[in-house]
Amino acid sequence: MTKKGKEILYRRVFVWSWALRVFHWSFALSCAVLLLTGIYIHYPPITTKWAEFKPQYLMATLRYYHFAAAYVFMAAVAVRLYLLFFGNRYERFTDFLPINRRNLRSLWQSLKFYLYLTDDHEWRMGHTVLAGTIYFLLFLAAIVMSLTGLYMLYPDVSWISKMGVALFGSVQMARFIHYILHWCFIFFVIVHLYIAIWNDFKAPEAIISGAFSGSKFMPADVKED
Amino acid sequence: MSRIPSLRIGGLSRRDFLKICTIATATMGLPVEMVEKVAAAVKSSERPPVIWLHFMECTGCTESLLRSSHPPLARLILELISLEYHETLMAGAGAQAEEALKAALKKYEGRYICVVEGGISTKDGGIYCQIGGRTALEIMREVGEKAGAVIAIGTCASFGGVQAAAPNPTGAVGVSQVIHRPVINIPGCPPNPYNFLSTVLYILTFGHPPELDELSRPKFAYGRRIHDHCERRPHFDEGRFVESFGDPAHQKGYCLYKVGCKGPVTYSNCSVVRFCDVGAWPVGSGHPCMGCTEPNFWDRMSPFYEHLPKIYIPAGGGIRAEAEKVGKVAVGAAAAVVAAHAAAGVIKKAVKSVSGQKSSEE
Repeated sequence: MTKKGKEILYRRVFVWSWALRVFHWSFALSCAVLLLTGIYIHYPPITTKWAEFKPQYLMATLRYYHFAAAYVFMAAVAVRLYLLFFGNRYERFTDFLPINRRNLRSLWQSLKFYLYLTDDHEWRMGHTVLAGTIYFLLFLAAIVMSLTGLYMLYPDVSWISKMGVALFGSVQMARFIHYILHWCFIFFVIVHLYIAIWNDFKAPEAIISGAFSGSKFMPADVKED
Repeated sequence: MSRIPSLRIGGLSRRDFLKICTIATATMGLPVEMVEKVAAAVKSSERPPVIWLHFMECTGCTESLLRSSHPPLARLILELISLEYHETLMAGAGAQAEEALKAALKKYEGRYICVVEGGISTKDGGIYCQIGGRTALEIMREVGEKAGAVIAIGTCASFGGVQAAAPNPTGAVGVSQVIHRPVINIPGCPPNPYNFLSTVLYILTFGHPPELDELSRPKFAYGRRIHDHCERRPHFDEGRFVESFGDPAHQKGYCLYKVGCKGPVTYSNCSVVRFCDVGAWPVGSGHPCMGCTEPNFWDRMSPFYEHLPKIYIPAGGGIRAEAEKVGKVAVGAAAAVVAAHAAAGVIKKAVKSVSGQKSSEE
């Protein structure tokens, strides 16, 4: 951490590949469209009653945007799935899931940092393990969202209906799961935005601009572990 | 009472006969040229013996099939098949009836069609449904294994139905759960008689069962979504919805989505074939679809006037909370936690700077 009157040298490190950044922003934008249109589709307020004489196609249009965004969303999920295994070292699941001693230490460290129990910021190139674990859970939720969504949209396609009946039993159950999980995404958006801004205050890593440029800043004397 | 004997006699006019064959052929999704073939199959084939079993059910399926106000369809079905055992329709009772079943099983072994109406209790050895001292489970296994084909008519026989709804005290299940052979499911509460007739006619005409979907339902009847063939669909696409029963939107015939219509998740041909030969069906009459052709619809489609099932929360003696409320509370809690976290950071910083000032003063 910087202290008043003391100069620290930072070096710029490249972390996030263009593929990951494309994933991040297409996922974020499609989520925004999906959440807004999805909330309307779930509970449409009457808006066109006053203009029955004039076609509005409001539900049809918003459903169309929902499905279009869903394809972007699924493509983004596919890109992330690829990067989990074949991305650079910070994008692979081995870097940010609590599966080894190094990562478990990071998980504990971030928990203490977030609970204000310590002021020692953990300098990590990639995701912290706490963040990475949550991202991974959201990634699993995104897969379930994709499968339930596909089942609701194309129940007549043979493999989709086989998958749907095997996993969810009926379209109504798929719809129920689709609805319940959408709260996870709202929840995530709130926490993710807050944590990103909070971290930007706490440590000069430039993580927000890093989501565009792919680079972070680290004190020059910190070594990668 | 005077009408009942007339159900038994044939005497169907040629016009009625061809009309029903045409509707049934159209239901199967076959072209009009096939009507003759279907009609020929009806006339020439030997009447297949049918053993019709009743288990845990309300006899609504039989009632809707016979519906004496429009007898020709029931007449054709009864003409088409040779009903060897049917507890509601047969004259015999008690020991006589049991004899008839035994005799039919022996005489037509491996050839008869077994039609089942009603769910089957499996808990405690199936003692909750017994006929003539034998459990439904026992009867079903015996009659089902020796049958040429098994058709489950109605949601109870297909998926367990109302008695299989939570907590399912009798362990009720559908037919396909208790016998080890393919079953054709014709769900619905009650199912459309044309779906049953068309299935039987299909087997008679082609000699094999129709194509089935993942839930063993004939695709010609259950392959399409009610929502996609609904007359109120334009109102849905427009965003015009009924808010409550009897409101101006309801009077204008707007979409019933917001009062719990399960049409978007229900597969059946109700909106096309319709009921009672008068073009009536629930959504047409202003009532939302209840999703009765889907598995476990009593649990998953209820509350019937709401969009989604409630979430079961085990704490507090089993609260059934609305899915929306649970989500809103969770997100509200998240927002509160975020705010508290931010406040804690600000307070900590303030405390630190105050104590820092103190220490520097010292």
